[in-house]
Amino acid sequence: MKGMRFAFLCREKPEPTGKKVAIIGAGPAGLSAAGYLVCHGHEVHIYDKLPEPGGLMLFGIPEFRIPIYRVRKGYEELENVFEVKFFPKTKVAFGNGEEEGDEFVENVVNFNELVEKYDAVLIATGTWESWMPNIEGVELEGVYPALDYLFKIKSAKLGHMSWDEVPPIEGKRVMVVGAGHTAVDAAMESLLLGAEKVYMSYRRTIREAPAGAYEINLLKQRGVKWLELTVPVRIVGEYGKVVAVELQKCKLGEPDESGRRRPIPIEGSNFQIDVDYVVFAVGQRPTPPFAEDVGIAVDKKGRIVVDSRHMTSREGVFAAGDVVIGPSKVGRAVLDGLLAAESMHMWLLGR
Amino acid sequence: MARRILHVDYSLCIGCETCQSVCDFLHHGKPNIRIYYTESGLPIPINCRHCEKAPCMNVCPSNAIYKDTDGAVIIDPKKCIGCLMCLAVCPFGAPSYDARLKVVTKCDMCADRRRVGLEPACSEMCPAEAVFFGRPEEVEDEIRRRTAEKIARERISSTVMESIGRIL
Ligand SMILES: Cc1cc2nc3c(=O)[nH]c(=O)nc-3n(C[C@H](O)[C@H](O)[C@H](O)COP(=O)(O)OP(=O)(O)OC[C@H]3O[C@@H](n4cnc5c(N)ncnc54)[C@H](O)[C@@H]3O)c2cc1C
Repeated sequence: MKGMRFAFLCREKPEPTGKKVAIIGAGPAGLSAAGYLVCHGHEVHIYDKLPEPGGLMLFGIPEFRIPIYRVRKGYEELENVFEVKFFPKTKVAFGNGEEEGDEFVENVVNFNELVEKYDAVLIATGTWESWMPNIEGVELEGVYPALDYLFKIKSAKLGHMSWDEVPPIEGKRVMVVGAGHTAVDAAMESLLLGAEKVYMSYRRTIREAPAGAYEINLLKQRGVKWLELTVPVRIVGEYGKVVAVELQKCKLGEPDESGRRRPIPIEGSNFQIDVDYVVFAVGQRPTPPFAEDVGIAVDKKGRIVVDSRHMTSREGVFAAGDVVIGPSKVGRAVLDGLLAAESMHMWLLGR
Repeated sequence: MARRILHVDYSLCIGCETCQSVCDFLHHGKPNIRIYYTESGLPIPINCRHCEKAPCMNVCPSNAIYKDTDGAVIIDPKKCIGCLMCLAVCPFGAPSYDARLKVVTKCDMCADRRRVGLEPACSEMCPAEAVFFGRPEEVEDEIRRRTAEKIARERISSTVMESIGRIL
């Protein structure tokens, strides 16, 4: 049982350069950047708002995909062999309000003060804001963003949260909306936790499903009711709690800017399904460690803008991973983290 | 040195592309392990499997392909004439033509890294531990241990399912 070797470029710590780097966010992007930097002699401090490093590899992606020990042993090597200093439960912020995944925060560090203290900073804070549709009933008890739903399940599995704080799923009926990785994982975890019935609603067809037909078919084999070409238009509640969801049927029209055919709702095709939970997995937005102006440009999708060196519009502050590219994959975040770290190293030496 | 193998277990792969990313990083944009998505949407990593009876070695007209002490099948760029016969006979389509170097290149099981006591980067970094490296009996042992875990998990989940009246 070996851990991921984030510092795969070396075996032991080289001569120190005397440079100090802060990384905000201990997901795959932040951890692989840390691995590169320690192998090049820099001192690395990592800040994360969660109780342990790993990002979505530990707190989002189910254990049946990524074994927990693989990530834990991985960051332990960074800590024990390469003397990376972790600051868990520590949120870096400037003007941010309450955000998803804030449950464990005990310390808040001012972003601008952090930047002052280090020779270079890497932002790798991912996409921790879930999109929620603007429909009647989203405020009802029993409606969850998928990330929050999975985050609670994984937090309990990791031993950071009691199972009392996790929605009881056994014997319940769950409607998952979406067809990406997150939707698939929310459906699968629901099954594994003993849901009585799991439905999946997707506005296009299995052919367009971002998670791929294979994953969807696997869920269908396991008894998930796949409702393609449907879109939720209203969540029905009683005494403040979800009792049903109203779906509308769609048909596919002309391709949109993404090249996929646009779903068009069909008038008068509405129908209801009785459920206890509605879980929305319809996208996430980047969450930089600042909400007000700190001299770092973000684009209209909220992604941090970087140049070819992975540097933001603020000198010495770099960014990598999903906060720059939008929701992607572990591998893409890893590569982005490595490339950013390589260029931070060049910049630190050149300075 | 004893024979060592680099083994990808396709049933454990989650398609996250980390293997491809670290290989891409080490080889400056030309990874030797790549994920391909099948028609059904299944991600499959394709790389050199360092065959015991490597067809590429047998067919190479310039004897450019050899095995090192760990059993890695390696192309000597100085001897390679770029005829692509290795690609023609490879059951996995692993060799790739490098237009810049004008020779065929492929995975060398991270020869430079093994020389300094490191293991192939794809295996060290795979989050799902689906890429194994080591002596055959070590790797096999590890795979069986993972299989046992998988069976345990399926059994636990199927009893949960049975209790609510559904068959897995
Ligand atoms: C449910 C789910 C399933 C997925 N399944 C897969 C899959 O099967 N395969 C795959 O390849 N990809 C999958 N992904 C995508 C993958 O997890 C991400 O692309 C990847 O983790 C992004 O890495 P990152 O390092 O950029 O960000 P993250 O992993 O999100 O890490 C960001 C870190 O920053 C921390 N942070 C955020 N804001 C602050 C702050 N202000 N202060 C301090 N810390 C902060 C967070 O706590 C977190 O630890 C999945 C994603 C989800 C949500």
